[in-house]
Amino acid sequence: MATCGLIFIATFSLVYLFFSDSYWVSYVVAHSNRDLSTFYKIAALWSGQEGSLLFWSFLLAIYVFSALFVYRNKNGELMPYVGVVLAGVQIFFLTLNNFVASPFKVLATPGANGALEIFTRADGNGLTPLLQYPEMVIHPPNLYSGYTGFTIPFAFALGALLARYPGEKWIHLTRKWTMIAWCFQTAGVLLGAHWAYAVLGWGGYWGWDPVENASLLPWLTGTAFLHSVMMQEKRGMMKVWNVWLVFLTFMLCILGTTLTRSGIVSSVHAFAQSSIGNWFVGFLALILVVCFVAYVKNRDYLKSENQLDSIVSRESSFLFNNLILLVSCVAVLSGTLFPVFSEWLSGSRISVGAPFFNKVNIPLGLILLFLTGVGPLLAWRKTSVDSLKRNFSWPSLFSLAVGAVVFALGLHEFYSLLCLILCVFVATTIVMEFYRGARVVRARSGASFAASAVDLTLRNTRRYGGYIVHMGMVLIFVGLAGAAFNKDVQKDMQIGSTLQIGRYNLLLQSFDSKPERNYTSERMVVEVMQNNKPLMMLYPERRFFQTNQESGTMVAIYSTLRDDLYVVYAGQSPETQTPVIHAYLNPLVKWIWLGGAIVVMGTIVTLLPNRRSVLAFAAVQEPSAARPMSPSLAPSATLREGHD
Amino acid sequence: MTKMRRRKTLLFCIASVCTLALSVSVTAQDRAKQIGGKFMCMCSCNQVLTQCNHVGCTTSTAMLKELDQAVARGDSEDVITQAFVQEFGTKVYAEPPKSGLSLVAWVLPSVYLVGGTLLVVFIISRWRSRIHLETAAASGGHSGISAEELERARRRVARETED
Repeated sequence: MATCGLIFIATFSLVYLFFSDSYWVSYVVAHSNRDLSTFYKIAALWSGQEGSLLFWSFLLAIYVFSALFVYRNKNGELMPYVGVVLAGVQIFFLTLNNFVASPFKVLATPGANGALEIFTRADGNGLTPLLQYPEMVIHPPNLYSGYTGFTIPFAFALGALLARYPGEKWIHLTRKWTMIAWCFQTAGVLLGAHWAYAVLGWGGYWGWDPVENASLLPWLTGTAFLHSVMMQEKRGMMKVWNVWLVFLTFMLCILGTTLTRSGIVSSVHAFAQSSIGNWFVGFLALILVVCFVAYVKNRDYLKSENQLDSIVSRESSFLFNNLILLVSCVAVLSGTLFPVFSEWLSGSRISVGAPFFNKVNIPLGLILLFLTGVGPLLAWRKTSVDSLKRNFSWPSLFSLAVGAVVFALGLHEFYSLLCLILCVFVATTIVMEFYRGARVVRARSGASFAASAVDLTLRNTRRYGGYIVHMGMVLIFVGLAGAAFNKDVQKDMQIGSTLQIGRYNLLLQSFDSKPERNYTSERMVVEVMQNNKPLMMLYPERRFFQTNQESGTMVAIYSTLRDDLYVVYAGQSPETQTPVIHAYLNPLVKWIWLGGAIVVMGTIVTLLPNRRSVLAFAAVQEPSAARPMSPSLAPSATLREGHD
Repeated sequence: MTKMRRRKTLLFCIASVCTLALSVSVTAQDRAKQIGGKFMCMCSCNQVLTQCNHVGCTTSTAMLKELDQAVARGDSEDVITQAFVQEFGTKVYAEPPKSGLSLVAWVLPSVYLVGGTLLVVFIISRWRSRIHLETAAASGGHSGISAEELERARRRVARETED
């Protein structure tokens, strides 16, 4: 608690130094200036290496304090080990904050008597223009909350292994913590994508940049863990796998921040190159050794209790789900590091850009999407042929029919068509699950269908929250499928001239340049017309920040569910000095952000406690999707729900 | 009438030439875009050349100009690629070429997938064979199930089959 309190004081002191324009502190000078708005003075805290590490410690301290507080009088055998692991991680970051990358270094010069004299600058250098965007105030806290949050399941897994703590207790204890971390990581990744979309001005949201990849890696293994952990909970299987997945997720969080901070890989998002990477590499090596030794010494405790009864079962679908997520993770990691390895081996750096990652990951993503539909409808242990027919006939037929229709309508791009078919397939399976469950609840309660669906969800939040998350992922895939049909046009524009893109006609009404408080703005006023009727005005602009002599783009976006009209002011033509518009028409992008919001909402639902612990199914006999039990062993009149 | 016809023919020819010229220029633009998608921008933004839109990025502007000129000259894709690699080094590739050391980058994901699938199949088959052994062992022993065992089995089934 004392550590947490002190870290709070340190963090808020740095924030105070920003607000009070203390230009005698080196970090404040480097990342702020007097004209910077209050909003971005908060974001300045994590905009540099030192401040972001302090922010990491701050978030970690909140997690550590919360976990230790929640379990202060419980699990006496386990918590000392957990506490030691958490303290170890916290100490590492505090060491960096205090001795390696302190954000409190002052500006000083040697005085006449040899002593250092502090001096104050009149103003700071200002915040990087790319960071002066609303998402930058919420994206890093989300992402960092994800990274730091995975420390809790890591500490519990390692603690349970060291203490040989019995059973699946550590998994029950950490499920919610893992979900919270995963939720933050998901939101962080998507907010980062939205920031890239709205700020970088290249018309896309994911460029497979090393830093973007670094945020995706722990998300992939974390997602794998959230699925495979169910096998341990239900069937006592995959204990070794789960422990290593948690270890791997935490190590990938550390690796991700190492890549961002060390300069090993080049990225527009990375911090300045520094020697801090050595500290992280050392820490990673230490974690690996500790985990490996703990595993070797205590591996007997991780023996599986059950075996797989059938290949067509929920267990095997989880195995394949984990396989695909892990293959994707390793492929992204090796692609990210390949330029470094190629330079070491051959002396010349070979770039691995977006085309490579797309070619590798699109097929994997589609397999994963297929498993998203199939997995939840397979029964534990064994799925009968009847059950397969009952659950998959309609979704398969419906999705193929939709595929045939859209193919006939002109969608011939293979991956997009396949993605759309799979999206319809998965969405149908989810809707059917809700329909079946809600029908049973409605038959008992007489409530409306929608109320029954809500009731159903609240009775088993984990199961139906999971379906909501899957539905969100489906929407994200729908959005991704649209990328194959992006269009763009660039044109030098005279005042009054027009540009046609898709169904939109852009008319340049005016172009001006005016000074603002912290920057000078060059702005286009563009009227968007559709079918020769005015639709709306867009104001793409470029901001020039005097303090750091850098420019930033403010993209103007008109977003609909069908497509995004994305307009960039691309500067003035060197030949004609006329402003240049670069307009993009990006189909279905809004579905990605919508899907992301639904994923977060679904995750929150899974964290809610179940409304009732017991639900008696007496009157209605509903053949459940994934429950083919023999009558002799089935719990005769009562199905327990709300197990967690 | 003949004059009219001549005029019409002339107009038709002009229109055809214009259309052809326009289509050639569109093709050249498309070709430049397609080839440009295979290079990285060298401004260290880590973006594909045709997608780099960094404010004031002189590097991408110069590279795109060079590309447009090469396409206008009618250079083949290989010639353009060689020229870019000569000028900027192998890091100009947006994706590794499928030869030499770079081939490893392409092969690795397939190796992971195949290796992982084999591992999963191996794990599943080992689990399955254990089950058969256990079933055989169980059928060799006494077949009576006590009430306590039955109750334990019921509880286990309930736990394992709930979602």
